This record gives sequence, C-alpha cells and structure tokens, in this order.
Amino acid sequence: MSEALLHARALTKNYKLGQVNVPALRGVDVDIQAGEYVAIMGPSGSGKSTLMHILGCLDRATDGQYILDGSDVSNLSRRQLARVRNLKVGFVFQTFNLMPRLTVDENVALPLKYRGGISRGERKQRAMKLLDRLGLTDRIGHRPDELSGGQRQRVAIARALVGEPTILMADEPTGNLDSASGAEVLATFEELHAAGHTVVLVTHDANVAAHAERVITMADGKIVA
Amino acid sequence: MGRRLLEWLELFGDAFREIRVHPLRSMLTLSGIVFGAASMVSMISLAGAVQRLASDDLKAIGLPRSFSFQDRAPQPDAVGAMAQRHPGLRMMDMQALASLEGVESVHGFNRAFMLTVGPVGRRNIDIEGVDAGYLELRNMQIVAGRSLRPLDILNSAPVAVVGQELVRDLFGAASPIGQTIKLNGKKFLVVGVVGPIEITFIPADFSFTARRIYIPYSYLTRYNRSPGRVDATIVTARPDVDFGTVFAAGVRVVRNRHGGAEDFRIENDAAEVLSDLAMADGILDGWNVVMFTIGGITLLVGGIGLFSVLLISVRERVREIGIRKALGADEGDILRLFLSESLTLAGLGAGIGVGAGMGLLIITELIVAKFGRVYTIPVNVPALIIAVVFSLLAGIIFGWYPARRAARLDPIEAISTM
Repeated sequence: MSEALLHARALTKNYKLGQVNVPALRGVDVDIQAGEYVAIMGPSGSGKSTLMHILGCLDRATDGQYILDGSDVSNLSRRQLARVRNLKVGFVFQTFNLMPRLTVDENVALPLKYRGGISRGERKQRAMKLLDRLGLTDRIGHRPDELSGGQRQRVAIARALVGEPTILMADEPTGNLDSASGAEVLATFEELHAAGHTVVLVTHDANVAAHAERVITMADGKIVA
Repeated sequence: MGRRLLEWLELFGDAFREIRVHPLRSMLTLSGIVFGAASMVSMISLAGAVQRLASDDLKAIGLPRSFSFQDRAPQPDAVGAMAQRHPGLRMMDMQALASLEGVESVHGFNRAFMLTVGPVGRRNIDIEGVDAGYLELRNMQIVAGRSLRPLDILNSAPVAVVGQELVRDLFGAASPIGQTIKLNGKKFLVVGVVGPIEITFIPADFSFTARRIYIPYSYLTRYNRSPGRVDATIVTARPDVDFGTVFAAGVRVVRNRHGGAEDFRIENDAAEVLSDLAMADGILDGWNVVMFTIGGITLLVGGIGLFSVLLISVRERVREIGIRKALGADEGDILRLFLSESLTLAGLGAGIGVGAGMGLLIITELIVAKFGRVYTIPVNVPALIIAVVFSLLAGIIFGWYPARRAARLDPIEAISTM
C-alpha cells in the first residue's frame, strides 16, 4: 500500500450525453503526499476539473480506485461521500461561492454545522480563529457583498480550512481576481503550504501553476506530464 | 435528544431568516393556510357559541328536569265503577309525589281567565295559579317587589305578582307594588312584578309570560273547584338522580292512586327538552362538518400554494444547495433545511390564522354588542388544535417533495449553475 495521502489508480470517468458515452478521464494515476503543493494544469476539456471533483469526493469515478487518507472512497454512498467531504476536503472555488445572506463569520463556520455535534459557540470561535489567521478580523459581521474580491476569496479559504481538512482543493482560485488580489491569494496558499497543509490547485494558467511545488499537466483525460 | 432539538431550533431560526428575506412572497404563500386556519377556528367557535346559546334557551323555555300531570276528564271508554270513581288530579297526588325518592319539588298549578280591574284600567287576563318557586323554575325575573312565597300558598293568600307588560295598562305610571287589583271582583294585593321567560338567542316570542298575573294556586283551588283539585302538577327531579327512575316512580304512584282511571295526562317535559337539544345539536353538527370541510379544503389549497412556492425557491437556490453539499451537507441536511422552511411557513400561517380567527370572534362579539346583546364567544380549543395540526401536516406533506428534490440535486451540476 502506498503511503500517499491521495492515491488514485486507473481512474476513468464517462459522462452520458444521450446515447453517447463521453470519456472525461481515461485512466489517471495520481499520488499526492501529505504536505505537498500540487497544481493540476491543462486547457479546458482536459479533464482537470473532473479529476478535482473525484479527488474532492464531489463525484465518483466510473472505474478505478481512489484511496484518500488511508481509506478507499471509490464506492461510497452519496451520504458517506458527503461525510468524507465534510471531514477531509476543503474547497475553494473560482467564484468564491459564499452565502450572500450569511455574515463572514457565519460563512466560515458553515462546514462545522454539517459536521454535527459542535455547539454554535464553538463553531463561531473556530471561525474567528481562522479569520484572525487570515487577517480578516475586521470583516467579521459583514456580508460578502461588502468585501473586495480578494477578501472574499480569503473568507472562502478560511471556510475551507475551518474543518481542519486533510486536503485543500482550489479550482481556479484566482480566476475572478485582479492580479494584485490573485497574488495575495496565491501568497496565502504558499503560507498554508509552508504551515504543512496539503494543497491541490486546479488551473489553466501556467503562471499560477508555477507557484506549486509540482505540476500535473493534463490533456484529453490523461496525465501528460 | 437535546442536541437534536438544538439543531432543529437552529434550523427554524435560519428558516425564519430566509422567510424574512421575501416578506411579500412569504405572506402570499401563507395566505391559504391563514384563511384555512382562521375559518376553522372562527366558524367552529361560532357554531359552538350558537349551540350553547340555543341549548341555554331550550333549557330556559322547557323544563329540563321536570315532568307533569295534567288533569282531564275520564276517557269515554272508561266503564262502570271506574268512570264513576275518578277523583281528578288532587293535592293528595302532589303529597304522594313529594314523598318520592329523588324529587326536588312538586308544584301545583291552576288556570283561570278573569276580569281584572286595576286603578287605571280593566282587562280580561290569563291568570296562572302557581306554587312558590314556580316563577324561578321558569327563569322569570322578579323586577320589582317579591315573588310568591310558601306562606302565601299555604294561606291561599290573595296576593298577586303582575306581569311586567300589564303594569302600564292597569296601573299607569305609578308603582304597582302595594296597590290593590280586583280579579273577578275579589281584591288582591300586588306584591311583585315579573318579567318574561328570558331567552337570548332562539327567535321565539315568550313575551306573553309577562302579560299574565300569577297568584297562589291554592287560592284558585278553593275558588274554582272542589277542594283539593289542581289543573296540573309539575314534578322536578334533583339534578343528582336519574331522571328516568324518578319519572317512572312518579307515574306509577299517580296511576296506583287513581286505580286505573285515566283522568290525567302525563307530559315528559325533560324528554321534550332533550329531543329539542338533540335536534339543535344535529343541525350544528352538520354545520361543523361543513366548516371543517371548507377549512380543510382551504388548507389543502394553501398547502398547494406552499408547494409551488417551495419548488420555485428550490430552483432559485440550486447553487446554494450545491455549495452546502460541497461543504459536506448530506441529503438529510438539505431535506431538513427545506422542510424546516416549509414547516416554519405553515406554522406561521397557522399562528396568524388562529389569531385572525380569534380576532373575527372578537369583531363578531363587538357587532352583536352594537345590537344590544352581549355574548362571549369562547374559542373552540379542539378546532384550534385541529387547525394547527392540519396546517403543520400540510407543511410537511407539501414541503416534502420540493425538499427531497433539493436534497437529490447533484452537487457538481448544482454548483455550476449560475
């Protein structure tokens, strides 16, 4: 057995479009070690997003094996997969995906709500701690639309980290940001990596991918480099 | 258990927040449930109030614990000695009835029609020879002076209680108390004035009871007839005994005393009241069925309104659902999220509806009060509970499908929805 934190073998994914099977992944092997900072790069349609969805337990592979943090998650039920997402994966999206009606701290605390058994007070406390760590203490109580893009993405990062996940997954995290804010966010990822977090970043931008320790390049549903 | 409760409380708090974001839409969604709950609570409470008023009136008009014997001529088919021997209804019968177990009172009664002469006017008037306590038994209020007393009866005293509506004709503006009237030439002292049998609701006219004069029945017995005879006697059972037993015993005693001469008629006043009450209850039960049906249909329509708005809400919030799922919400979490909103909406609707229904009752009371009648319409608690339970059930039933639809959304598709 591999000691890799993420260990995927021969992952395939087919989408059905009417009668036609559209292959999105055609046998992908990936190993990511704990503490690594990896970028998955490729043009759109290369299968990088599909791979991230599977690695992030948002989706299941059609075939192949995927072991996350020592347990096989290839064939889990939707409910079990939701549990794994909650416990082990933190997502950061291109469009931030914050809840517009919740305050910054409520947004950050949201994943803990779905963990169950954590009191409101403790959830809030843990959210505060992360906001403090990401330098957002002065934004507490504000709603997302009162924040700049860079601040919003940092709130999203705080939310991804609040459940102390095994792995942090970011899907084009700088795609909707100006270059200054983008640099800020990338610096945050580097800090997190330096602090020992495992980060997987999906991007089509080579300049962004260059920030990672290792780059996995995809094309046509396969890893090409 | 406590943790579950806390989680639900938090869900309801969040649901309330979500509802407040769209106040107009939420209120429109609620309206069906509001109308359903309001109509159930108000109409059934109103029916209950009507039922109570009607039954009070029926009890006031009738004699709910009494039966009576009316004197009559022996029947033509009575033959021989029996026909000769008929004694008629007598005070001796009354004594025998009074000694029975469970009898509260036995009232004697005689009728007459007399030329009555007062200080101001003269008229032919129905005279009722009654017993002490009879006016009270008939729910007639003494408005001035006093009622007839046992000593008046014992002494066959020439005293009279005059019906309220006769006062002006016989006495003019002066107080009748202490004045003298002549009944067929015999002087009577007026000791009291009495109002009619009081009814509040049933559209029946009992004002004639205030156009009569009430004197001791014993006086009429001596005046009219052979000593000891009465036109009628009214037996009232104690409230704590079985009426049927007392009735049967009373009938047996009088029959035995009369040796088979059918010279009296038996009237079961209590049974008449009961059958009238049963009829009124039947009518109002029918009304209740109609109102529950209308309320139920309105709630159903309200539930369908809730259903469609929740479906729209789910569609609008697909992306939010996707995000929540990405953060680890499972299908149960999403189901509970929408179900709690549906339940909160339904609960709010029920609350507002019940409040509106109670408000309608108060408005009805105020309108009725404008017409000079004071009724309190108590809220029918079972109807209130049924309205709330049905509303919440509608919330669960009609919230279920939209909530499940939200729960089943694929997170990736949901998150990529714009």
